[in-house]
Amino acid sequence: MSAVIRAEGLSKSYGGVRALDDVSFTVEPGRIVGLIGPNGAGKTTALKAILGLTPYKGTLSVMGRDPYSDRHRLMQDVSFIADVATLPRWLRVSKALDMMTRIHPRFDVEKARAFLARTEVRAGARVGELSKGMIVQLHLALVMAIDARLLVLDEPTLGLDILYRKAFYEALLNDYFDEQRTILVTTHQVEEIEHLLTDLMFIQHGRLVLNSSMDAVQDSFVEVLIAPERVAEAERLQPVYRRELFGRKLFLFEGVARERLATLGELHRPSVADLFVAKMKGAPA
Amino acid sequence: MEPNWNDTQPIYRQLRDRIVTMILEGVVNDGDALPSVRQVAGEYQLNPLTVLKGYQALVDEELVEKKRGLGMYVKDGARKALLADERRRFLEEQWPGIAATIRRLGFDPQELLNRTDGQEART
Repeated sequence: MSAVIRAEGLSKSYGGVRALDDVSFTVEPGRIVGLIGPNGAGKTTALKAILGLTPYKGTLSVMGRDPYSDRHRLMQDVSFIADVATLPRWLRVSKALDMMTRIHPRFDVEKARAFLARTEVRAGARVGELSKGMIVQLHLALVMAIDARLLVLDEPTLGLDILYRKAFYEALLNDYFDEQRTILVTTHQVEEIEHLLTDLMFIQHGRLVLNSSMDAVQDSFVEVLIAPERVAEAERLQPVYRRELFGRKLFLFEGVARERLATLGELHRPSVADLFVAKMKGAPA
Repeated sequence: MEPNWNDTQPIYRQLRDRIVTMILEGVVNDGDALPSVRQVAGEYQLNPLTVLKGYQALVDEELVEKKRGLGMYVKDGARKALLADERRRFLEEQWPGIAATIRRLGFDPQELLNRTDGQEART
């Protein structure tokens, strides 16, 4: 199967500022890709380009189409959700469903109704009268009823408490995702989705500083709790990041053989959050 | 359900171990269906590829079989095979040390067994 997204030399400047600087990557079907970066790193610009909302330099193909010139047709295969707090409070649930039916050719209103029937969300209610959990369910109903091959989620769980954030991803995995579909997600709450991702992209100053499958990440990055007498030896292997925990040194290594590292101390799998901090500090500003 | 994954082993491996424990403890029996990849992925918030990899490890060990269109099932004899494996490992890895300790301390094996039986009866 061909790539869902293929970007080559993607660049975008606002005034003199390079929001995206020669970015290349591909996303294959059936993957859950996390696009992680600090504010202003270029995440939103990348998403906008993929959704055909902004012109760009370089080559970009989303499901075989140029998103900017072919946006209308592309949108039939793409579903996009920004954070869930964006549904207007005055909107009635039934109206939200009507609206989606009119906007999106692949929106299956029956599917959305069936999903909502399992919840407390009533068709006559206004968004402002719903609890936060119910708003999440409404949002999910709207997203999952779109038969889209690519789902783009931009900070989908912003402002939700942990229970609803969990419920959001659980429903997504249970009722939506399969090997034909692809999810691209940006979020600040990396810890919660790190086991969910199949691929990881870090973006900083408009450039990709990491672009790898989670399997490859786990093969190449190892964190070692260094035995005190081995610190000097460990330093010589050039750790990419160093931190301390209860007076012990934790070094992060990239591309050093596990067997070699095992002689220095206890091996751990670094969390995505640790990797992120390491990569952001390590990369030249 | 909030599993605590340790960070020393790959998650698919830990998932495999969890299912092995469930089979050994009789939580799932020979012939039982395992939850679908989706269900496990949703419940544990794991990506489906990780779950699939864990299941595949069990298939490779011939403990689980994939029935086309139906999902994953615990194979007949899986528990027996695991138990045999655990017994072999106990005899090879732990028993020599335990036997040596028993001998060194001059215990009578029968007396020791009577003691543990008594303890089990109390709990």
